[in-house]
Amino acid sequence: MSKLRGSFNIHALVLGVLVLVLATGVIRWSMLGGGIGSKKTRLAFWNGFTGPDGVVMLKIIEDFNRENPDVEVAMQRIPWATYYNKLTVAGSDGRGPEIFVVHTDALPRIRRAGFVADISDLYEGPDAIDVDDFDRVVVDQVQFGGHLEGVPLDIHPQGAFLNKQMLKQAGFVDANGDPRAPKDRREMLDFIGKATLEPSGELKDKQWAFAFTYWGANFRSLLPQFGGRYLDENGNAALDSEPNLKALEFLADIAKNKQAPPADNGLGWFGFRTKRVAMVWDGVFMLGDLTRLNDFEYLGAPIPQIGDRPGTLANSHVLCVNKSVSETEREASGRFLKYLSDHSLEWASAGQVPARKSVRANPEFAKMPVQFAFAQQIPTMMYPPRTPVIFEFMLELDRAVERVVRGQIGPKEALAEANKNAQAVIERDRREYPASYAGAEANQ
Amino acid sequence: MKARRKEELMGYLFLVPYLLLFILFVIIPVLVSAWLSVVQLDLTNASKSAFIGAQNFTDALKDDFFWQATGATGRFALLMVPSVLVLGTAMALGMNRMSQGRDMVRALVYMPSMLNVAATGILWQWFFNNEFGLFNYTIRKAGGTPIPWLTDANMAMPSVVLMSLWWTVGGTSVVVLTALQQIPKMYFEAASLDGANGRHIFFRIMIPLLKPVLLFVFVTTTIASFQMFGQAAILTGGGPTFATRGVVQYMFETAFNGYRFGYGAAISWLLFAAILVFSTIQARVLKSQVEG
Repeated sequence: MSKLRGSFNIHALVLGVLVLVLATGVIRWSMLGGGIGSKKTRLAFWNGFTGPDGVVMLKIIEDFNRENPDVEVAMQRIPWATYYNKLTVAGSDGRGPEIFVVHTDALPRIRRAGFVADISDLYEGPDAIDVDDFDRVVVDQVQFGGHLEGVPLDIHPQGAFLNKQMLKQAGFVDANGDPRAPKDRREMLDFIGKATLEPSGELKDKQWAFAFTYWGANFRSLLPQFGGRYLDENGNAALDSEPNLKALEFLADIAKNKQAPPADNGLGWFGFRTKRVAMVWDGVFMLGDLTRLNDFEYLGAPIPQIGDRPGTLANSHVLCVNKSVSETEREASGRFLKYLSDHSLEWASAGQVPARKSVRANPEFAKMPVQFAFAQQIPTMMYPPRTPVIFEFMLELDRAVERVVRGQIGPKEALAEANKNAQAVIERDRREYPASYAGAEANQ
Repeated sequence: MKARRKEELMGYLFLVPYLLLFILFVIIPVLVSAWLSVVQLDLTNASKSAFIGAQNFTDALKDDFFWQATGATGRFALLMVPSVLVLGTAMALGMNRMSQGRDMVRALVYMPSMLNVAATGILWQWFFNNEFGLFNYTIRKAGGTPIPWLTDANMAMPSVVLMSLWWTVGGTSVVVLTALQQIPKMYFEAASLDGANGRHIFFRIMIPLLKPVLLFVFVTTTIASFQMFGQAAILTGGGPTFATRGVVQYMFETAFNGYRFGYGAAISWLLFAAILVFSTIQARVLKSQVEG
């Protein structure tokens, strides 16, 4: 009996292993596109759309797959926090996805890893994407040494989100009695004076007219309004320029005069969505969070003109293709990129502004009030600097802004120190990777 | 003899699965990190790495951010380690005296240790929030002045320590309580008969007999404090103005955000050296006291 049981166990074990091996083989075979008559081109598409935007993107991909039976696009969503590490490691080692999303500010750094393809040909020919359908400043972000390395999918400028009820209470209404946003420096300060309330002295009744969201980004929204810049013509740090100083002085005054609550991680947005803050400046993508709230009336508007001209910061998701794809994959990738670009109005519903002018001209886009309002800033928006050391560069700038809004240091001193440190980072990178700053590899 | 050898071999065979994983996920990464620390390697330019000897280490020692992070880690350890020891022991003593409901209380105080750092950090972010947080709401209700828990550079680190204590001290108290319960009751009875008061019993009986456990808690809490990362990264992002950015966070940002893997590896080896030195000193000092 015991011998029989032992023999049975061994047979069961061998059978189990065989079944497992067979099952694994079948799964692997089907994943690799096995099956009678299967000739699908399979494309991996990586991005960081892990929020509600991912659901919208998935729907567009499903439509594409249905309309293109010879291609199967599979989306892999990775949180942005670790996305670029994974993308760079995989791409550098030849295991990267066929198609991937890169923010414009990350592109100069990612392309240095050598796996971002030149896709200028996607812009050529009668059925191609029309390069003139993009604003010049947007195309500039994907152009390197005369060739194009991506298709801008969207634009996400920073703009003002405002609580309609609080606008009305502060008397900011138009001729029809509808709430309207403060437009310039005078109105902004007037609004702060009128909409900052603490009626009973109790916290639950306190209301701030304005709060910092992410202070570094709030500062960068003001830079173009004063004619500020990050780098000079030679790619050196230019953070301590007079226009930059003026922009920072405005925020320093807001903090010093206690016209905004002390800068606190996540405070501004949390305060806005819980109706304790009347106005915040944030990216258009935050719209996804607001659409989940019931009984909350808000509007989107351009950042008030604090400087001598309008302006704000912006960034874009750029669609890129892996250099190592086969000819068939490249053709299919091109088709997919064009499809996404053509369907960027659907993508806009996820809280984005389409990058293409013709899509923005569609009357349906005007029915997306926040996106439409934010899009008015496109002619005056400013992208982050094009540098492979973007992380360290921005860290220096953001630290300077933080120290100023916390009252630890004056704006002039903070920007001078940030400029010195940022320049040291640039010079170190030039020494270590001279090719990134010369010839065809150059970012400018 | 043959049977014994077979038994030994079986012992090693049982270890094989773990050893394979240990080699793959510990030994090899440690060796790779040692190599990385002496090369200049940017993730976006990995094919052009170059051997630069000790330059990453000398650069780190001249780097203001590194010293700022070292200071933050030191401050955290200085506040955290004594707090865990004192509070953990006090809680264990309290639970030890309980005649009823001890198991329930032990389970409750241990519960926060079961949460992961992300959940704990997000929860405490709302507690600490300047304008809308629970703590300042309560303080205001009581007529006090709100505390800038996370927005003031001097307050931020004590706030991170407060959260870390809530998160971990329950685990420590349970360990110390277990050790307390191992002390034979006859020691306390004999001391009472000899006229010892509570203070005598605590300092002459409990503390000497708890020393091995307290040594363990001391060393492990010091190591964990030196490796502080998640608490500050989630609660403050390392701010305000890097006041709570520890060495591990700086190493992480350098390697994984700045892509400077060689430099990041050098920072991690400097941290390892610091932990090794401190742990060795602590272990030797306390061991001599335990044995003495």
